[in-house]
Amino acid sequence: MDRTNCNDKSPDEAVRRPNRLRDRIHSLKNSIRCFIHEARTARGGARVDFLGRLGLFIPAVVSIGIIILVLTFLWYESTPILTSPEGGPGIIFETTWDPNRDMYGIAVFIAGSFMCTFLAIGIAVPLGIGAAIFLSEFCPHTLQSVIRTIVEMMAAIPSIVYGLWAYVVLVPFIKYEFAPAVQSNPLTAWMPWFGGSSNGLGLLAGGVILAIMLLPTVVAVSDDALRSVPKSYREASLALGATTSETARSVVLSAAIPGIGAAVILSLGRAVGETMAVLMVTGNSLQIAYSLFDPVYVMTSIITNQLGYAYTFDLWRSALFAVALVLMLMSILFTGAAKLIVKWGMKTRGME
Amino acid sequence: MDDVKSQLRLDENEAYEETEDTGYHPKAFNEFERWFKRQTTIHGRRDLKDLLFKMLLSVVVIIVCMPFFMVLIQVGTVGMGVLLGSGPGQGLDFFLSTPGPGLQGGVLNAIAGTAYLVGIAMLVGVPLSLFGAIYITEYTRPGFMRSSVEFAADVLAGIPSIVFGAFGFTFLVIYLRIGMGMLAGGLTLAFMMIPTVLRTTQEALRQVPMSLREASLALGATKWTTTWKITIRAAFPGIITGVLLAMGRVMGETAPLIFTSGNNLGLPTSVTGPGSWVASMPYTVWSYISDPRNYVNDKAQATALTLMGMVLLIDLIANFISRKVTRRLV
Repeated sequence: MDRTNCNDKSPDEAVRRPNRLRDRIHSLKNSIRCFIHEARTARGGARVDFLGRLGLFIPAVVSIGIIILVLTFLWYESTPILTSPEGGPGIIFETTWDPNRDMYGIAVFIAGSFMCTFLAIGIAVPLGIGAAIFLSEFCPHTLQSVIRTIVEMMAAIPSIVYGLWAYVVLVPFIKYEFAPAVQSNPLTAWMPWFGGSSNGLGLLAGGVILAIMLLPTVVAVSDDALRSVPKSYREASLALGATTSETARSVVLSAAIPGIGAAVILSLGRAVGETMAVLMVTGNSLQIAYSLFDPVYVMTSIITNQLGYAYTFDLWRSALFAVALVLMLMSILFTGAAKLIVKWGMKTRGME
Repeated sequence: MDDVKSQLRLDENEAYEETEDTGYHPKAFNEFERWFKRQTTIHGRRDLKDLLFKMLLSVVVIIVCMPFFMVLIQVGTVGMGVLLGSGPGQGLDFFLSTPGPGLQGGVLNAIAGTAYLVGIAMLVGVPLSLFGAIYITEYTRPGFMRSSVEFAADVLAGIPSIVFGAFGFTFLVIYLRIGMGMLAGGLTLAFMMIPTVLRTTQEALRQVPMSLREASLALGATKWTTTWKITIRAAFPGIITGVLLAMGRVMGETAPLIFTSGNNLGLPTSVTGPGSWVASMPYTVWSYISDPRNYVNDKAQATALTLMGMVLLIDLIANFISRKVTRRLV
């Protein structure tokens, strides 16, 4: 039983990766044998070492288990609707949501989420990138830390507080000031996206509050990306006679494009997943919005609003979990895309 | 044009003389003035474009920072009105009494509830994710398994909070029959915390230079001693920052709690069962703001102000630790 090759592997085993199944089983067997051996013979410091490793191993397994549990549970809960005749994967493209008549089309919510998200991204990304450029390129040092702190604080404010603010300030503003002003002005009244009556709750309010919530993410991540551009790039450009803004636009910005792309994608993920603020101001009506003042229903809102009633109806609950599954797939997509962009950027930009 | 230039040069030369002139030109202001002059010196069309671009961007920065102050002013004015008032459930009473009939009292139930929930979440979530991250980073070899675990954690961190709520409700409350209450709510929050804390801890551990570990191992320390006494100690500020940020985030979450923690106008009386239903500050904000009564709406804003103050305080502490302590240790 005195097997002493537990810590240092035999040379051929270290070089050759265990590719074949037999090798894998063998190495697993060996590691289990070593484990038992160590548990029986370790004394003093070695025993502390062993117990410590065990004490760390259990939390690792539990937390990985929880992560896998949550991800597979969404899949498991949404299978009834995806396999039943009433539903099927086609519900993603159907627009009628009426659980009382067994119609579970979730396209309305996907469309609502996307409209809200793209409106928010359209507002937040240009502003955020502009602010990040100012922050990293032109800002005097004393101001820099102040603005950074403000941006960090904006990111820390809970979404319910933003929702409260939007509900109390933004919605009345859109209802009483913005909508009448835009609709009575002959220059803008003809535009189809300003049509329809407004009670303030709708796509515009949702998009604007989402944009405000995205801004700190966009600013912080783009600022990091811009700051990681080597100083020599800027110096080279300035030495060639370019002004600072030309340098910022055509040298620094293009070197930081991968990081900024990752920022945009990350904020896209956050926007799709935002719950409370959007729930409070989008009006939650089962229709696809044709104007900025029309109410929308986003994916997170439908789960929040109906899970309480749905939990006794298997299909209904399962349909809600299908919405959650779509959200999870989006999260996978965005995370993967952000990683790919960063990897691509590191390869093409030659940075680290 | 030359005037401005000579003025600029003069300013730079004046830096020595300025030291005698105490107090009149504070240094920061003088620097700012010089910076401003350098920015606004125009030599031609390209400089004009340069200046216009910078002005555009500074306007953008003002727009970006404005919402913060707008939220602060709105919530602050109404909230302070309640916090400094002297009516029922106002002033100090706001923190020290439960709502009572007609929701006229304070929000002690929400503050205590948030404390319970965050406490349970920290108690469960932090050790699991912290030690898990240490094991994954220190004891396993990088490879497919490790990167897939990291990817799964990233995906889970990107999942909307309401999905965690739905999971907690269906899995914990219904399948495991824990029932709504602070246990289910706290566990749901813990599940939300795990991926974030796991990733930030890993990031902090990765920043510790390899040479520190090698030096310790070369002195004959065991892996455990090295990890515990050297690696964790060096990564400590980063780890604490990650934990505090996750705590601040979890504190403001409403959606996971709607279906898992219930609501309660008094204090919870037991750990399980119906007596364990708890209110929380975000949930209270949400339910109070949709109330038709005006004074209840004001209380919602005061609660939001309190919540915001707590979260921002935690954020500031985290910031302080990551800036000051990191510099001293490494």
